[in-house]
Amino acid sequence: MAAGVAAWLPFARAAAIGWMPVATRPMPVPPREKKKSQDQGLLVLNVSGQKFQTWSNTLERYPDTLLGSTERDFFFHEETNEYFFDRDPDIFRHILNFYRTGKLHYPRQECIAAYDEELSFFGIIPEIIGDCCYEEYKDRRRENQERLQDDEDDEKEDVAPLNMTFREYMWRAFENPHTSTTALVLYYVTGFFIAISVMANVVETVPCGTLPNRAKEISCGDRYALAFFCLDTACVMIFTVEYLLRLIAAPSRYNFMKSVMSIIDVVAIMPYYIGLVMTDNDQVSGAFVTLRVFRVFRIFKFSRHSAGLRILGYTLKSCASELGFLLFSLTMAIIIFATVMFYAEKGSTSSKFTSIPAAFWYTIVTMTTLGYGDMVPKTIVGKIFGSICSLSGVLVIALPVPVIVSNFSRIYHQSQRAEKRRAQKKTRIAKIRASKSRGTNAYMHYKQYNGHFLTHSSLEEACKEAGQLLVGKPNIPFESHHHHLLHCLEKTTNHEFIDEQTFETNCMEVTMVNKSGSRTSSMSGSSSPHGLSSCCSRRHRRKSFSLPNSNNQELSTIQIRERPIVNSRSSLNAKPDFETVPLKSGHSYVTSSVVTLPPAASSLLTSSDNGGSSSSTCNYSQSNIVRVSAL
Amino acid sequence: MSHCRKRCKRQLTKVFRLFYRFLTGTLEKDSVEDDFELSTVCHRPEGLDKLQEQTKFTKKELQVLYRGFKNECPCGVVNEETFKTIYSQFFPQGDSGAYAHFLFEAFDTNKNGSVSFEDFVFGLSIILRGTINDRLNWAFNLYDQNKDGCITKEEMMDIMKSIYDMMGKYTYPCMHEEAPREHVESFFQKMDRNNDGVVTIDEFIETCQKDENIMQSMQLFDNVI
Repeated sequence: MAAGVAAWLPFARAAAIGWMPVATRPMPVPPREKKKSQDQGLLVLNVSGQKFQTWSNTLERYPDTLLGSTERDFFFHEETNEYFFDRDPDIFRHILNFYRTGKLHYPRQECIAAYDEELSFFGIIPEIIGDCCYEEYKDRRRENQERLQDDEDDEKEDVAPLNMTFREYMWRAFENPHTSTTALVLYYVTGFFIAISVMANVVETVPCGTLPNRAKEISCGDRYALAFFCLDTACVMIFTVEYLLRLIAAPSRYNFMKSVMSIIDVVAIMPYYIGLVMTDNDQVSGAFVTLRVFRVFRIFKFSRHSAGLRILGYTLKSCASELGFLLFSLTMAIIIFATVMFYAEKGSTSSKFTSIPAAFWYTIVTMTTLGYGDMVPKTIVGKIFGSICSLSGVLVIALPVPVIVSNFSRIYHQSQRAEKRRAQKKTRIAKIRASKSRGTNAYMHYKQYNGHFLTHSSLEEACKEAGQLLVGKPNIPFESHHHHLLHCLEKTTNHEFIDEQTFETNCMEVTMVNKSGSRTSSMSGSSSPHGLSSCCSRRHRRKSFSLPNSNNQELSTIQIRERPIVNSRSSLNAKPDFETVPLKSGHSYVTSSVVTLPPAASSLLTSSDNGGSSSSTCNYSQSNIVRVSAL
Repeated sequence: MSHCRKRCKRQLTKVFRLFYRFLTGTLEKDSVEDDFELSTVCHRPEGLDKLQEQTKFTKKELQVLYRGFKNECPCGVVNEETFKTIYSQFFPQGDSGAYAHFLFEAFDTNKNGSVSFEDFVFGLSIILRGTINDRLNWAFNLYDQNKDGCITKEEMMDIMKSIYDMMGKYTYPCMHEEAPREHVESFFQKMDRNNDGVVTIDEFIETCQKDENIMQSMQLFDNVI
């Protein structure tokens, strides 16, 4: 956070002068100043013999990287009074430029893996790479990962994971037919039956010779009805079994049922079952015939077997807008010319152009240069406009088609790239926000450490033994000053920074307590016993309170320990700035609320022996309702 | 009449152009090259020695300040947008735009819409190296938006709200709507001696000098650089 503008920290601190006269409470003590001599020095960075020099301030702009933090002390070489890194100097040049200019560039001639390694060594996240080089970086990275992935896949396909359940095994067999011979057999058998079924559908409409006592030719389907019926049944049975097996084996059945392939499967086998149900019923035979048309959807089942079909379907889907536009412009032209032809041919006798919609057919046939000849204009005006129509048809159709074709490839690649960029942007923003929140979390950690720092030495020692908080102490001057600045702001406004989850929990509690408090001033609140229960135990009951290290044991011990202090009014008054120390991070929020209680409320403390409720210092007006933080 | 015809023609061409664009499918205007007016306005500050005489900073301090300043604003002046961006990086949780605006107004003493290095350093010199009275004067200047010598409740309300905005949403205890107003009321109670509804510079300085907390906090700025 505030990485590139560390140099402006003095300005930000000076700007705090506006808060001082309005603050009602004393400001916290600024952090100790380290000796200044380090700040203005030139540092020598020796990277495999190539020496770089820079101000130490430059490096400290980004305190969460190796060079900006105390981690670089590990590389300090005393004999030569320089920092020695045994890394690649060419890539280091770019990393150092990042500190100087705030923008990280990716050199195109470098290997992506080496560059990534250097970045991770120096603690720089690649999302910071400037926009000029980011796309290139991501492309190279993706290629590299695909290459790695292909290698891995080839390996993985040969090596099956050892303990797969039967269900997983079946799913794997269905999705990757090359894995085992049974899968392959199944694959080819289903393919064969799909082909058989489609061919049967086609053949059964072919006229197959005449019956001896009829003149009319009948189709093969009627002649060999039983044979076709048996074939159809066999195919449908196989498809049904396959579909059910896939359904059982699918890891997520809901997702499987939503997928396009499963819908195609269902549509392919449904007509047969519906036909079984409603046979020999003349009224619905029309609908029944329509259903048979759906049997042709079986051909789409081939898309499981052919990757090309899948790609075609995807490109059509992605080009839908262009196709729609072509259709629209064609429609416009058709309507215009149809209208003109209709009015031009209105005069001639026995004209086929009986209405404008009838003229549509003529226009379409002419514009697509089909020219069936079933409708021709007879008047001279009609012929003139007819020729204009056919000429313009050539233009209207011929021009957009190459555009559409090139759009296919362009849109295909572009949509891929747009998706990538959007996904990249989301992850970039998420990561940057994460590092920002890391900064605010750093401040939360700093607060608890600082609070800890101000109190009993015994607790301090206990904490030192626990050893957890020492890590969080910001040794870097920038961080400590920044935290002091935020602390001043808190003191000015009498509010504290907390993170989102704590905020939501607090607000829920406050509303609950307000509800119970508004009923009666007596704390023995009737219907909501929770209104009285202590803040901590409520949190403890509610699972949603996600503290990093919340510990139920901890809560109860703190509660017990603090209760005697709460009961005595004088002790509370005596330590207005008393911040009892939580050993874990969450309680700092709880304890500091004691401080913010105005002295007026403390007079009513003695009447609130029974546990107290969460404090809401926002309502100074509700002074007759005791609010004590659950200590 | 011809004026009307001209307008008609213009509208017609616009409609045709729109129609044409609709036909050709480019419904969005082609991205016109944004005129990136790289601010050719480059401002060089006065010499180091002169600045050292005029402010109370040492040479080294001025060097550090200038390097930081120039790094963020290579053209030598900072406009309000950049100012706000820089300031907001220190307060990620809240919205510091309003307070940054007031600061910008306070730093921009010649009211030309940009803060040069001299303005910047003069302001900092008063805050960080000035006497307590100078600092209080500067703070008063910050609050007094129209520079008429007195702070009204509205001005104070604006400032207070901007300070509270910097805290953001996630605070403990939950931020009240009325919190800034209450704070302003208590401020006026303290500062406004003759209860005329405004706080003049004398009342301000007098009250601040009597307040221990404020005096002490003013001394915080001694060691900032």
